[in-house]
Amino acid sequence: MPVLEASGIRKRFGGVTALAGADFSLHAGEVHALVGSNGCGKSTLCKIIGGSVAADAGELTLNDKPVTFSGPQDAAAEHIGVFYQDLSLIPKMTVAENIFLGREPTGRAGLVDQPALHQAASAALAGFREVLGDGIDADTTVAALSADQGQMVEILKVLAAQPRIIILDEATAALDRNQVAAVFEHVRSLKAAGCSIIFITHRMDEVFDIADRVTVMRNGATVMTADSDQTTREALVEAMVGELATARGKSARHTPAAEVALQVDGLSSDKLVDVSLQLKRGEILGLGGLHGQGQSELLRVLFGARRMRSGHVRIAGKSFDPRGPRSAMRHAVAYISGDRARYGVMAIRPIFENLVVSLLARERRQIIARRKLEGEIAPIIETLKLKFDSLGAAVSQLSGGNQQKVVIGRWLATRPQVLLLDDPTKGIDIQTKVDLYATLDDLCAQGVSIMLYSSDDEELLAIADRVLVFNAGRIVTELTGEQRTQFELYRAAYDAGHTGLQQAASKQTPAQQTGSHQPGTQQIDAKEAGSKATDSEKIGSKKIDSKKTGEATE
Amino acid sequence: MKSADMRQPVSGRSGWSRQRHPYLMAALVFVVLCVVNAALQQTFLRYEVAISNVAAFLPMALLAVGQTYVILAADIDLSTGAIVSVVNVAVVTIIESMGGTGASMALGLAAGLLLGITCGAINGFCVAVLRLQPIVTTFGTGIVFAGFALWILPQAGRQVPPVIYLTYAGTVLGVPSVIWILAGAIAFAAFVGRTRFYKALRATGGNIQAAYQTGLPVARVRMGAFVISGFFAALAGLALVGETASGDPLIGGALTLPSITAVVLGGTALSGCVGGVAGSILGAFILGLISNVIFFAQLPFEWQGLVQGLIILLALAGGVVMARGKQG
Repeated sequence: MPVLEASGIRKRFGGVTALAGADFSLHAGEVHALVGSNGCGKSTLCKIIGGSVAADAGELTLNDKPVTFSGPQDAAAEHIGVFYQDLSLIPKMTVAENIFLGREPTGRAGLVDQPALHQAASAALAGFREVLGDGIDADTTVAALSADQGQMVEILKVLAAQPRIIILDEATAALDRNQVAAVFEHVRSLKAAGCSIIFITHRMDEVFDIADRVTVMRNGATVMTADSDQTTREALVEAMVGELATARGKSARHTPAAEVALQVDGLSSDKLVDVSLQLKRGEILGLGGLHGQGQSELLRVLFGARRMRSGHVRIAGKSFDPRGPRSAMRHAVAYISGDRARYGVMAIRPIFENLVVSLLARERRQIIARRKLEGEIAPIIETLKLKFDSLGAAVSQLSGGNQQKVVIGRWLATRPQVLLLDDPTKGIDIQTKVDLYATLDDLCAQGVSIMLYSSDDEELLAIADRVLVFNAGRIVTELTGEQRTQFELYRAAYDAGHTGLQQAASKQTPAQQTGSHQPGTQQIDAKEAGSKATDSEKIGSKKIDSKKTGEATE
Repeated sequence: MKSADMRQPVSGRSGWSRQRHPYLMAALVFVVLCVVNAALQQTFLRYEVAISNVAAFLPMALLAVGQTYVILAADIDLSTGAIVSVVNVAVVTIIESMGGTGASMALGLAAGLLLGITCGAINGFCVAVLRLQPIVTTFGTGIVFAGFALWILPQAGRQVPPVIYLTYAGTVLGVPSVIWILAGAIAFAAFVGRTRFYKALRATGGNIQAAYQTGLPVARVRMGAFVISGFFAALAGLALVGETASGDPLIGGALTLPSITAVVLGGTALSGCVGGVAGSILGAFILGLISNVIFFAQLPFEWQGLVQGLIILLALAGGVVMARGKQG
């Protein structure tokens, strides 16, 4: 019997239809995965179930009783807890305050019992201590946390309300593999206790790992529901995109020119040590390795967004001092971050403004001729297959994938010669990724040089001509040609961090070791690489597994 | 763990002192100004002088306390000075027209507080329920309140019975009345600071979307902050009745922006969430001390505004620079 049933749910935002008659049913004690490309309406459906968005039409029933939520507090009263993709945390408040926001333990006279609050939060954190990493306790302000820690806190916040129906909207997007394993373990115990979980993810292997059933959404409607052991990756992907999307194979690559577009010598910064590299014209240079080893830092230094301490950078043979984004732009360098909310879109401004802002800044135009600019950006909109209602609509109305396209389009309009991509496909659906890869291909053919960091190792290996493996701010290995395999990437990342990793490996609990057996393509992390390396056979099996998934998902 | 070492903004943690003790800078400036003031004015540290200073700074401090709650929710209340005026003239008018009896005084004071709360509720309704921009809305309601004050009492004047200003300037149970009022405000703040409401208030100021999604009653919380602000503006209006013993429809107008300055001096961020009442009280005292210092330094009149502005800027910049240095 379904605990929750949504039928014929419709919702429009301005002129954009987010939901066009979505049906969804959730059984007691099941994990139900909800998949689909970005903009297909998953998040909107979840927000309607969570009470923070009101549906235009349709019916929502809980245990066969129709309900209407006038706000999130109504949903919370029905024991529905939502993990919000954009997080519902208050950056300037502490971890403890955030976890128990609105549910603080109270003592005398109904006042907040601070010691009890601290204790309860510490206890909540203790449950995930092994995977939380350093620099987080009950009194840490959320603003000081890394992205994965922020997600973990949001998870703890959802759990603290002890909901019976839990919606996890991309709750694992920024998590490393051990963290995912720990969360899954918890989800399984909640399931055993009779809770029902709606689980949204872009990672196929997670669907098959955790979900009992899976529902696919496309263009605002639910197109397929199946038991997860009765379906395949291919079937899901096909349902998602309507056709089988395939990523470009490595063989299709053209050869980059010998000409050096960007040369870096002895670059050091707060997080980089003596980095030297050459980026050829028309080349895609991948930056790989463990999470956060200086890859993003390098891209941001080259764009002038982080300070370079020493070193020398040359662009097309001419000396270039990355003093700031403006000077980088004048040298035809563009930087695109996957963290669009933070570094990318100006959410409430129109799509048009978001598309032309870099162009205006680069050419120092003071007077804006709208017609002329629209003409200039039209081909870019075409190339990127950008879907929108009107150029005047706020960019926040677009789905995540389309927002990212806007950010990319903004920089393409400046005709960059060097493109710095900082995890550009984070949280983006397969279709958008495929479009993006094709665009990158075209750019390379036109002689644009691209430096790419991706948290998706498989993507990195598939589209980069060469991969530089980073560790602790240094380049430790270069992988070219046939070396570009997950196996080599793991080995290079592991070898370099050997001493630091052994400690991490010894901290592993047996439960986590089991957790990390799952095949998959997640972010590699120091801890994981550590545990992997204790068993060389596992590395081998990993290679095969990821090859398999590679074919299936891309 | 290598990966943990590389985790992103660890620096945010060292913003600790400004996060937890946002009024440290204000305390430092306060001490410096006390020293300077004491050097310029021999009698500064005498008990009676200290009490009279507290009495003089009290209305501003009360306004700043109320304003703090509004600013913590990332709103702003530009009508507080006008509420001071309307409460001031309403109380004086009620008491005088009822003959200055004990009952009239009780009624007048109660009516004054109620009036302040009502004004705050009107602001809160417009901002939180109708969702109008707080800065423009409270500027507008402020003009209405000020106009109402002029309608009640077009010219400064009228008298309240001596018992009011004698009590205000005197002592209750051996402790000066102004100290009682200040202590009451601090006790109120200490109480509110431990409520769930206060957490919700800061959350609303920190990220209103997240606060809403968490299920907090965001509109009620913002409304509450404006009501508190109105209540404290009314208290300030009553304090001015005690201080001046008469009504003046223009008395509060010039207090609004200085009271906001006091809140900011005290380390409360205009962007919301961070700060606290203790800092705002210090901030109000700092503004008062700056006036004192300028007076006792015997600066020529035409220089006073300039010097006062520069000192305020210096104190504000000090806080910002200190916070930045910490985050390095």
